Amino acid sequence: MDAWLEFARGPLFRLSFGVMMLGLLRILLLDLYGAWEAYRRAGDKTLPWGYIIRRTLVWFFPFNKVLKGRPFYSICSILFHIGLILVPVLLFAHIQLWQSGVGISWPALPKPVADWLTISTIVFALALFIGRSFSRMSSFLSRKQDYLWPLLLLLPFVTGYVCANMSVGASTYQVTMLIHILSAELIFVLLPFTKIAHCILLPFSQFVSCVAWRFPADTDDAVCTTLNKKGAPV
Amino acid sequence: MKTNVIIVEERQRAFKSLRTDEISERQKLKVRYHVEDFDVNDRPRRFLEAFAAILKHSNYRVALDHFIRVSAKCSRCATTCHVYQATGNPKDIPCYRSELLLSVYRRHFTMGGMLRSRVAGTGHLTDEKVQKMADSFYDCTACRRCNHECPSGIDHGLITHLGRYILSEIGIAPRALVVSTREQLEGASGNTSAIPVPALIDTLEFLSEDMREEKRVNITFPLDVEGSEFVFFPAVSDFLMEAETLMGIAAVFTATGDSWTTGTGYFDGINYGLFYSDRILERVVKKIDIETRRLKGSKVLIGECGHASRSAKQFLPVYCGGKDAYPVVNIMEYTWDVWKAGRLKLDPNVVTEKVTYHDPCNIARQGWIVDKPRELLKAFCKNYVELSPNGEDAVCCGGGGGTVSIDEIRPYRTMVGGKVKADQIRKSGCKILVAPCANCKKQLKELVEDQKIECEVVGLHDLIYKAIIFDDSLKVSPDEKQTGEEE
Repeated sequence: MDAWLEFARGPLFRLSFGVMMLGLLRILLLDLYGAWEAYRRAGDKTLPWGYIIRRTLVWFFPFNKVLKGRPFYSICSILFHIGLILVPVLLFAHIQLWQSGVGISWPALPKPVADWLTISTIVFALALFIGRSFSRMSSFLSRKQDYLWPLLLLLPFVTGYVCANMSVGASTYQVTMLIHILSAELIFVLLPFTKIAHCILLPFSQFVSCVAWRFPADTDDAVCTTLNKKGAPV
Repeated sequence: MKTNVIIVEERQRAFKSLRTDEISERQKLKVRYHVEDFDVNDRPRRFLEAFAAILKHSNYRVALDHFIRVSAKCSRCATTCHVYQATGNPKDIPCYRSELLLSVYRRHFTMGGMLRSRVAGTGHLTDEKVQKMADSFYDCTACRRCNHECPSGIDHGLITHLGRYILSEIGIAPRALVVSTREQLEGASGNTSAIPVPALIDTLEFLSEDMREEKRVNITFPLDVEGSEFVFFPAVSDFLMEAETLMGIAAVFTATGDSWTTGTGYFDGINYGLFYSDRILERVVKKIDIETRRLKGSKVLIGECGHASRSAKQFLPVYCGGKDAYPVVNIMEYTWDVWKAGRLKLDPNVVTEKVTYHDPCNIARQGWIVDKPRELLKAFCKNYVELSPNGEDAVCCGGGGGTVSIDEIRPYRTMVGGKVKADQIRKSGCKILVAPCANCKKQLKELVEDQKIECEVVGLHDLIYKAIIFDDSLKVSPDEKQTGEEE
């Protein structure tokens, strides 16, 4: 078991983390390159920066949005995201691993805060899953990944909480820790290839939409030529 | 086009209980948008060909790539869509509609989609799906309100716009829009309402005489005056249906003395290209540019029309020279400017009824013109109330995206598309509803009629015409000869 844990903590972690970082970097660069290409071709190069920034910030601090549509689901979603982002990054145990591995560290969350955030993330992940399953609108739209993601994200949080707070036997601890690490690594690997890519692309949504509305000039002729419709009546 | 008209009893039943599948199905009118005959079996291939050609020559790809990666399917957009709120049918959720096209893009135009389909052997575009898109994209009124509520920032309006464009390339577009556009671009009259120039001149002379009698002022519509500051392009249907709006605009220019002109070469602000085809959009926008150039004008002035204003404001720079394109001004901006500068006086005692303002989506959604018409109205309407919500978050009239021009779907527009708006108007208790948009006005007039709301729908300049105070120096005696028409 120790060998498995070592393997999961060492090479497998490096591999999955690398896949995640490179994958995210890839889609970010593709996105920005696409936007740049589109901007270069645009007939009108002025962009409504004020509008773009305002609309982007609205969703980073969605206070006045929460109660407007699906308030329960929205509040659950916001609280879920807070824990989801803060706990893995600011947990003392995780920072320690970074410190011993590559020698970098940063301030950690106090343990009680981290514990409560973990519990809230678990609760709200379940709430989101239930909300999706029982809402007529959501379940109509949902794909498989939409149901699987909250459940997959639950795994490292539940196992992490068990390892950190419960007195379990050594072998149970090891198995739980292995599940904790492997599930996190699975998340890392899947992240750039699924809808969770929004973690890196979201700040650019409004910008990309505005660029797409800036059409290139003289496309009528070009599209007609490609479709062999030149001179065709309206 | 085939339609099922809903009978009165069915309509009343539908409003009693909205959220059942049975009612949703009944509310769906089976409107087909085919323009020409086509080979049914061939549509998926032609759709993909058109999609590929459009992607090659446009900027849509970046948005589609982005949207397929970030779409979280949270269904928050459903809470804001007036069509979904009225039907309760999940197929009217904006995100579902967008997914119809995004799934085609994912399957046929991305590497991942192509590989996955090789493994699973499914997901390719079928004729059934093309038909689904044809129905769905025209159930949407392209108001883009859902765009504001999408946490992922997906622009469902952009996707509907693209979906309609691709469909139009394979001959699926509302006949009403295509026939009008054909007349505008290839017909003898050169405008969507097929008004010949002599008829236009007659109408304007008649209106001038009317105004002279009523206001004792020579209010004219200058025609083909070269070098005017503003070249005027109203929704051409205003010449037939909204004369009072045009009279109000002419009155404002008479009061200020600024130079404006209507060109007899081209005088139609309507651009249905915004609703179904970028190629049409480009051709129509270029006609505006050519006419303004011919008349040596310095600014393009668009009348009270939402889509005409947006298509000129947003796309004149795209197709006609970027930064060097003619500046586009909406008439409400002009009127506000001159009123703010103290060049326009309005009588606060003329309009006493309860007045409210409807924000046309194409003008207000991105915050372009929101406060100016309100300031104007509050300046002379004592009893002004707001609809809620309003401004950038305003609810669509239910006839947006060109659907108002399709007379066959009036029951759908007034009982489904306009349901939320009707509730909003009723709640406000207004007696005059100001809607500065030709499309919104037509829809809202039909809406208040069908929904039996006692409320008059007018343009902003209809009221300004009533309240405007002319300088005494402009007054003429009843028998004085009319001047100005020959300018």
